[in-house]
Amino acid sequence: MTEQIVFKGVSDMPTISISFGNMDWNKTGAWRSQRPFYEDKTPPCSAACPVGNDIVAFIQKITEGDLEGSWNVIKEENPFPGVCGRVCFHPCEAKCNRGNYDEAIAIHALERFVADLASNLNEKIEKGSGAKKGKIAIVGSGPAGLSCAYHLARLQYDVTVFESSSSAGGMLRMGIPSYRLPRDVLDQEISRIVALGVEIRTGIAFGKKLSLDGLRDYQAIFIASGAHQSRSLQIPGEKGKDVLSGLGLLRKINLAKKGKLDNRIAIIGGGNTAVDVARSIIRMGKKATILYRRSKEEMPAFEDEIAEAIEEGVKIRYLVNPIRIQQKDSLKRLECLRMELGEKDETGRRRPVLVPNSNFFIEADSVAIAAGEEIEVSFLPKGVERKEGIVLTRRDGSTGIKGIFAGGDLTSTQRTVAHAIGSGKKAALAIDCYLKGKDSEEAIREILIGDGPSLSTFRYLHPEERKMNPHVVAFEELNTDYFEPSKRQKESKGLVKKRIRGFEEVTSTLTEECAVKEAERCFSCGTCNECENCYVFCPDTSVIKTGEMFSHQVDYDFCKGCGICLSECPRGAISFKEEAR
Amino acid sequence: MKKIEIPSKEYLGHGHLACAGCGAAISMRLTLKALGEKTVMVFPASCWSIIPGFWPYSSFRIPAVHAGFVTGGATASGIRAALDIRGDHETVVAVWAGDGGTFDIGLQALSGAAERNEDFIYICNDNEGYMNTGTQRSSATPMFAWTTTTPTMRPKENPKKDIMAIMADHQIPYAATTTIAYPEDLLRKMEKAMRIRGTRFIHLLSPCPPGWKIPSELTVKISRLAVLTGVFPLYEVENGDKYTINLEPKPRPIQEYLKLQGRFNHLTVSGIEVIQKNVGKAWERLMKRAGSRNF
Amino acid sequence: MKKVITGNQAVAYGVILSRVDVISAYPITPQTTIVEELSELVASGRSKTIFLKVESEHSAMAALIGASTGGVRCFTATSSHGLAYMHEMLHWASGARLPIVLVNVNRAIGPPWNIWSDQSDSLSQRDTGWIQLYCENNQEVLDTVLQAYRIAESVKLPVMVVLDAYVLSHTSEAVEIPAMEEVDQFLPPFCPEYLIDTQEPRAFSTIATPESFLEFRYKTQEAMEQVPEVARRVEGEFRSRFGRGYGAIERYGKDGAEILLMTSGTVTSTSRIVIQKLIGNEYSVAGIKIKRFRPFPFEEIREAIQGAKKLVVIDRNLSAGVGGIFAQELRASLYSREERPQVFGFISGLGGRDITPELIEEAVQYAVEHDRPEEEILWLGLKK
Repeated sequence: MTEQIVFKGVSDMPTISISFGNMDWNKTGAWRSQRPFYEDKTPPCSAACPVGNDIVAFIQKITEGDLEGSWNVIKEENPFPGVCGRVCFHPCEAKCNRGNYDEAIAIHALERFVADLASNLNEKIEKGSGAKKGKIAIVGSGPAGLSCAYHLARLQYDVTVFESSSSAGGMLRMGIPSYRLPRDVLDQEISRIVALGVEIRTGIAFGKKLSLDGLRDYQAIFIASGAHQSRSLQIPGEKGKDVLSGLGLLRKINLAKKGKLDNRIAIIGGGNTAVDVARSIIRMGKKATILYRRSKEEMPAFEDEIAEAIEEGVKIRYLVNPIRIQQKDSLKRLECLRMELGEKDETGRRRPVLVPNSNFFIEADSVAIAAGEEIEVSFLPKGVERKEGIVLTRRDGSTGIKGIFAGGDLTSTQRTVAHAIGSGKKAALAIDCYLKGKDSEEAIREILIGDGPSLSTFRYLHPEERKMNPHVVAFEELNTDYFEPSKRQKESKGLVKKRIRGFEEVTSTLTEECAVKEAERCFSCGTCNECENCYVFCPDTSVIKTGEMFSHQVDYDFCKGCGICLSECPRGAISFKEEAR
Repeated sequence: MKKIEIPSKEYLGHGHLACAGCGAAISMRLTLKALGEKTVMVFPASCWSIIPGFWPYSSFRIPAVHAGFVTGGATASGIRAALDIRGDHETVVAVWAGDGGTFDIGLQALSGAAERNEDFIYICNDNEGYMNTGTQRSSATPMFAWTTTTPTMRPKENPKKDIMAIMADHQIPYAATTTIAYPEDLLRKMEKAMRIRGTRFIHLLSPCPPGWKIPSELTVKISRLAVLTGVFPLYEVENGDKYTINLEPKPRPIQEYLKLQGRFNHLTVSGIEVIQKNVGKAWERLMKRAGSRNF
Repeated sequence: MKKVITGNQAVAYGVILSRVDVISAYPITPQTTIVEELSELVASGRSKTIFLKVESEHSAMAALIGASTGGVRCFTATSSHGLAYMHEMLHWASGARLPIVLVNVNRAIGPPWNIWSDQSDSLSQRDTGWIQLYCENNQEVLDTVLQAYRIAESVKLPVMVVLDAYVLSHTSEAVEIPAMEEVDQFLPPFCPEYLIDTQEPRAFSTIATPESFLEFRYKTQEAMEQVPEVARRVEGEFRSRFGRGYGAIERYGKDGAEILLMTSGTVTSTSRIVIQKLIGNEYSVAGIKIKRFRPFPFEEIREAIQGAKKLVVIDRNLSAGVGGIFAQELRASLYSREERPQVFGFISGLGGRDITPELIEEAVQYAVEHDRPEEEILWLGLKK
């Protein structure tokens, strides 16, 4: 009973002080000076993910055994999980809070696991019904262009992608070797995009076969032609015979074009392209030596790639700077200077400094230069600004020309697959705003993950759901008393001897058992996963379990604001605010 | 991370008068979930004279008999006799006494009842001081702790009384320690106790925010640290000689536990060292007792 | 069935005949033979009674408070230091309105250490809210125990039945012991209004604020005020069933006597002889035996002392600083009257000192010879 019991006096009181009712009328909520409330916050992994994956959500679904649900979460944001799970540089894992406890979650392996499972089950993405809202043209079928196409198609637009080469995929196909990204994985993810009604027209180069005028009928254009030109070293002999561009060499190998390859190849550069070239050469039975001007710690290629390259027999020479390439009989002769590390520059890296008079020579059958990529600009329409090697856009991807947007490697120096996918997504949402007359800046602000720059399509489409405080959960805000240290699951790798005999994929997908184990290591930073600690430890029985989707709520009539729920929440999903009085 | 499973029925209503963050409120709520509906609980005077509310109200959903401070063991003996006379051998008689009503003023009645192996579960809700009367020292107050009767100029000189050793040596069928940060352990031990006849004793550590001078949100964390630093070992004793140590933590330094509590703020480095040594000695003593008896 | 039994044995019979469910007691001279007798009877298995052999008197009363709250009939016995130790719990039993019966063997409280007859122990507890009934002989002891349960359960207050150490407790007298079936007719089973019930859970003896405490105490007093009527009824029934009755007080001797001698306990037996003798010597004297001390029998006494000019009170107790307790309460009961007899308060017999007929006569003689007492407190038989 919740009313108060009132006795008149001796005429109606009992003889003894015995109870007649409970204390439900006593709203101890009035004692509070601060009130707890459930508030999902941004996990550091999602905040770091350039694609804008809802990582906590898809991992939690794996722990629940809801693999289809996990796939559904992923495909809201990322059309290329199979790709990303294999080739992304996983900044999410660098920021994973579990890394401060024992080892970061193998997020890439889990994304790959779900993608491969969906592939095996032949999961399709539903095509929307209803009339198309407009026609959009996209230049370039790399990850940026196809991501944009994917999200636009899901927003009910009629999309046509123009690709200059003979097959779709951009750098995914041209630049990344198949031992890292098998062709069938790439093909299947592209085919899912096509199945949404996206038309990819290959063999059509913008600026040549296609002009801006020819795209008159399209309501908007997204240019994502990428960066495919090899950067020049500006040294003598660079344009000589048997001096190849690393990108060009990769393209040949990846498109399985026939061609002769010399025995010993020197590769100048330190990024993923250099390593990819080297490892591809090994697989073709040749010898590869990478020449990098800085030290090992500064090599920009992914650490795992470097390690695998070394295992496979790639030689790497550090602090070597070629200054001239000469022809000596049938060999190439590289004149090099030694480098040493000097002061740190603005980026915090120690500047390599030439050691004078340290000239020495290296010989090789051919040389590949993989010292960076540059964009092709000849076809760009007037009014599209450039600066320092990239096309400039506003935050929403729009250029100086109304209706023309750009993204991917064309517009950024952060040239990764994930950034490209994220950029394509952003452009799609910005185009949607543009065509609806909505303020894209505001729309983007609403759907930023953390402070950005990544966005969530899910929140764009369902503004009332998956609300998250942009505050990124720090390790100190977690209560790790509820976790046991456990080892991170590792994807198994093929034996080196077998690997280098061909272009078969090096790593294997996790088994379901291992994937679930790994997923259970996830702290679920900032998102309630119903562990029920709050319910168990509330001294005032003021955490109510309801049957609805968000299954706990605070009974503010009785909550005294002690804060135990907040303190015992392992994942920082509860916040406090001052009680207004 | 595994979800902590607890029964869902509540036997302690809300609207009660416990301080925000009261460890005993968590203890009581969890205990009653284990003991269930067929329980009568005796309350010698303690914070629980106030917490359930004033007449004519009570937050309890089981019969509750408030009793004199001294009388936990005795009152429960009488209730058990009455229920047996009435033919009710199922209803569990439980006592919920504070450390004052167990270690000090209530020790005689408890010892007498234990010697007679009276059939009840005696739960000592230990908040390490006379908290209801405003935080005066009891023999359960840890060494060097501040209380109003052991002010910082002269904090408590003597170590905490080893009530579990005392109860074990009464050779009662079951004695166990537990605390709120380990709810499944608490529930398991209560349920185990319920299946045994005779005197059963549970030593339940419940941190007290005002008395220990801790912020109210740290109650559960402090309870966990008490176990993880080795100050409050979790163990069971059956029939006075079979010891089961439930958790042998790699002990964290005692400073982690002490630094969060205002009642230890005045400690010097040497004081902390003494406490750390004593924690080790107490474990040795426990292991000796356990080892010598388990054979 | 008539038997020659001691006062303590009479108590034991009273307890068994009352079908007490739970006994909880701690031994103390001269109560010990009560608990010994009861232990034998319980151990023999002839009754289902549970005997809790607690480790102190405080625990004895606490255990009974628990058992009585559990809805069963309870009993304990003690004396002197044991009763004093129980003090806190005596208050509790009354405040909790539990119909517990306690037999107290009147013994001095030391130091000096003393095991003999003295009323100071029971009278020190006069403010605890217990009904107090004093006995003159072993028959009265047994009968009072039986009546005590009827009265207690009717008004919901605990009852203390008092008998003198050794003079009654260890002295054999002929006692008519009623049959169990007859007592069953007189004393029905205990049916409390509130008891521990998991189907209807309640909290007992919870904290009550100043907003209601006054009313609870009023109710206790109200119950006390019902006692004279209830006792009369119970007595009436007892008398018709068993042929014996005692009343709250008993007046004996000359009608309209000028001097009244007021006593309680076994002193009364001696007083009867003295009064008889004095009447024979043409004295205008009568005696009043006070059986019920709590609630104080104001009405009965006021009526019984009509026409008396002098009241001689023999107190086998002392409240140091004020004198004999019976005398004190008596004076209080007279205050409202227009005409107040003189009260001669005598202290005698403390620590078991024999109160002889000579001493009693001395007291009466003093009253004859003095208009008013020369001292507030008069001492009988004091060795100077």
